[in-house]
Amino acid sequence: MTNVLLLMFTISLLYLGIAHRLLTYIKILAVQGILLFGIAFIELIQINAVNLALILLETIVFKTIAIPLFLQYVMKRNRITRDAEPFLPNFISLIIITLIIITTFILSNTIADSRISKIFFVVALSTLFTGLYIIVTRHKIITHVMGYLIIENGVFILSLAVGNEMPVLVNLGILLDIFASVFLLGIFVNRIGDELKDVDVDQLKSLKD
Amino acid sequence: MINFILIILASLFFTGIIIRTKSITSGRKGPGIFQPLKDIIRLLKKGAVYSKTTSFIFQIAPSIYFASVITAIMVIPLGNYKGLISFEGDFVFFAYILGIGKFFNIISALDTGSSFEGMGASREALFSMFAEPAFFILMGSLALLTGHSSFQQIFSSLHFGSSISYILGIMATFVLTIITMVENSRMPFDDPKTHLELTMVHEVMILDNSGFDLGLILYTSSLKFAMYGSLIANLFMGDFPLYLTIPIFFGMQILFAMAIGLLESFTARFRMNHNAQYILALSSVSLLIFLGVLLILGQFN
Amino acid sequence: MTGIYLAGALSLAAFVFLNRSRIVNYVLVIAFLVLQVGFTVHIYTHFNQTELHYFTADGLGILLLVTLTIISIPAVYHSYVYLGSKQDNPKHTAIYFGSVIILLMALSAAYLSNHIAVTWIFVELTTLSASALIYHRRNNRSLEGTWKYVFVCAISITLVFIGILFLSFSLPQAGTEDLSFRHLINKGHALNIFWLRLAFIFIFTGFTAKFGLVPMYTAGIDAKDKAPSPAGALLSSVLMNVGFVGIFRFYTVAANTPIHAWANHVMLIAAILSIFVATVYMSRVKNIKRMFAYSSIEHAGIIILGLVAGGVGYYAAVLHIILHSFVKSSLFFQQGQIYRIYKSKSIYDVGHYFKYNQAGAIVMLLAFFFSSAMPPSGLFISEFMIFRALFEADYLWLLVVVMILLTIIIWAFGKNVFKLLFTPAVEFKEDAIEKINPAESLSQYIFLGLVVYLGLNPPQQFVSLIQDAIQNLAH
Repeated sequence: MTNVLLLMFTISLLYLGIAHRLLTYIKILAVQGILLFGIAFIELIQINAVNLALILLETIVFKTIAIPLFLQYVMKRNRITRDAEPFLPNFISLIIITLIIITTFILSNTIADSRISKIFFVVALSTLFTGLYIIVTRHKIITHVMGYLIIENGVFILSLAVGNEMPVLVNLGILLDIFASVFLLGIFVNRIGDELKDVDVDQLKSLKD
Repeated sequence: MINFILIILASLFFTGIIIRTKSITSGRKGPGIFQPLKDIIRLLKKGAVYSKTTSFIFQIAPSIYFASVITAIMVIPLGNYKGLISFEGDFVFFAYILGIGKFFNIISALDTGSSFEGMGASREALFSMFAEPAFFILMGSLALLTGHSSFQQIFSSLHFGSSISYILGIMATFVLTIITMVENSRMPFDDPKTHLELTMVHEVMILDNSGFDLGLILYTSSLKFAMYGSLIANLFMGDFPLYLTIPIFFGMQILFAMAIGLLESFTARFRMNHNAQYILALSSVSLLIFLGVLLILGQFN
Repeated sequence: MTGIYLAGALSLAAFVFLNRSRIVNYVLVIAFLVLQVGFTVHIYTHFNQTELHYFTADGLGILLLVTLTIISIPAVYHSYVYLGSKQDNPKHTAIYFGSVIILLMALSAAYLSNHIAVTWIFVELTTLSASALIYHRRNNRSLEGTWKYVFVCAISITLVFIGILFLSFSLPQAGTEDLSFRHLINKGHALNIFWLRLAFIFIFTGFTAKFGLVPMYTAGIDAKDKAPSPAGALLSSVLMNVGFVGIFRFYTVAANTPIHAWANHVMLIAAILSIFVATVYMSRVKNIKRMFAYSSIEHAGIIILGLVAGGVGYYAAVLHIILHSFVKSSLFFQQGQIYRIYKSKSIYDVGHYFKYNQAGAIVMLLAFFFSSAMPPSGLFISEFMIFRALFEADYLWLLVVVMILLTIIIWAFGKNVFKLLFTPAVEFKEDAIEKINPAESLSQYIFLGLVVYLGLNPPQQFVSLIQDAIQNLAH
């Protein structure tokens, strides 16, 4: 069952490559939150109940509900336009993301360790690189934040791979998530919309040598 | 032999069910289920008019198109029964015989010398080019999973055991459905009802055909629907005995037709220049199916 | 005592955030400084003891903690002077000082932590508090600087976390689950090499954002540029040290494993590239604070070269970072005064500093000499030892390249400093200059004196503390 959820997670990554509107990105983030909830529930069933409840609560509340709602609020308040404004056309994004998935698959075969489940590793790494790719190829600042959230989802999956032996690492991952959400979103994109009139990365050029 | 007859039978009412479903969802009563068949018979009785700027290609293309699809149908098995043509690696033969038909369709459209038809031909070629890897990767993964390479052996030894193979089955159905929509130029890639330059892919290629040729082409598209429907039905039929497979077959065809009708009624057409990326996404999804198969087999390159 | 310290600092910070009165602000901040000094003394006298299971007072921790405390006192003083000369918005002042308290607390905890995950948590906390400091002036450019800082640090923290995950992958082979540094050092030979390599790359790259090395140094440059000068002093001295702590502690783990030579190569590449980048930018930059920031990068590169070279280089690296903290913070404190006089950070708008602020100008001259590692600066001693270690480790060509680059840096730095000090300023109105009290330069004289003292005639306890810090490295 975990494999099914991870496969659906990968399909969501592909959908991210061809999405045009920012609202679609937000919906994909919410869906990824639900999938992570399912995976966490199945994988971590052996750790103590309070910890598990905390992790599940965090996944649902933060990743699925709070962050998408907050992103929508920020978009509405700063009047950010609907389009995602990529540097490269979506067609090429799709090809690149497919190549990322294939490359991580081949890469994971060089790992001789039998203890780490390969599918976790492949999905986590492809999510990481996809998130990085999204940060690099999009104009808007808010898509940078979304790319960072996708990277975090990837790190979360990676931490689930060892979650059973060391639940403290999953907790640290959640701490990272909370830190990033409170911080990146709560303080800055709000103000950035106010102060920097255009939420475009090209505006962040005045600090140069 | 029996699957050949079954597919021909299914093609008779397939298009009718699609049109009927679309009408009912729009609140109308719609034409009868055999209405498209009657249109085709009417066309077959008429004579054809050939333009003076066309060559012999234009005259033979519809027949070749029809013949290629008939040959392709002969390859498809039904549960335990082999198709009329069956050998190792016959799914490659299947894809490329369809390709021959498509090729002749395209060059006959170019033959008329009309730039309108040339536009349709180029669009058709592009979309088929992107849909082809999807089909091959899908069939390749199924072949890898079962270890055989002919249609009949693949489908008869396809077992759905673990949950991951179920999801692979669902994804394969999804991929085949979208391939059907692409190949037959239905929504959301093309609108068969409007004849505007913005939306035409297949309709525009057959603008100059008339009479008997037009009848052949229309009937061939129904045949193609039934052909893909039978492929999907085969995914789920497995090893059942004959008295079970025939009802399942017809049931699946009817369901498939209704599903296509619903899909067409409720989705808007994609922007034409975005069509290419959606079709390519299909290939990526079938790639995921391939990786999933590798996972099931537990073997990695 | 650690628990009392942490709880006390947090509650003091909370009170500072909430209160709006100047007097109460003074009292609370001075209370925190007293707490900080008391904590430092306690740690100093409890050498090598573990408190709260995660905090051990080892040599490196004590040295950096003492440095932190010594620097924090003038930092707070200069912050009051600096903020007092601007418009005094109580809410902003409260946020500033609250963030300073949290920053100092998080840094102290990070220096002392003996578990890699605890270090990670406190480094995260420093990012939060540092960005509140950078954003103090609340205009467009500082917002941009804060955004860049936060984003790059967020990515770097994620990289460190991934490194910690990979580290945990390498543990099962050694049959353990404990991620404390002592444990990792002991089990070094049994860790899975593949995962350890990946872990080293990720953790090293992540911490370069704090320490100021290629590839993630860009965060620090904008941060030090946009923060108010006293905060910039903190960012470029003690915040850099926490990056060093992260890299150093993990490097000691790696030094006890088979990947030691490979780790050396990785760090060597990063160090050389950092010095190169610093050279390129320092020749071109026109903003004084950015110049100081790039100079920090150069020093960071030299420190890592010391670690790579080995032998006496280990001692020199630790010595260098302590002395560098003092020199860099004095430079930034002085920059605060320069800004108040000239109202500009660009090198074009400053000049003839001796006329307007004699005490400060002498500080500037001395600090430039000391930062360029000329005798009698203690930095001369440490850089000389690093060069000697490089020579002994057969890195001759590398040494030549580094020396050429350093010469170019000294030229660039000197060109700007001499323009500041001796050349008359262009279009500078001399009517409404702020009068700077020479006593404000006192702290910098003390720091520069410390640099000489610790370099030329270090007390015995100082030397033994450094030797305790590098004991797991000496091979």
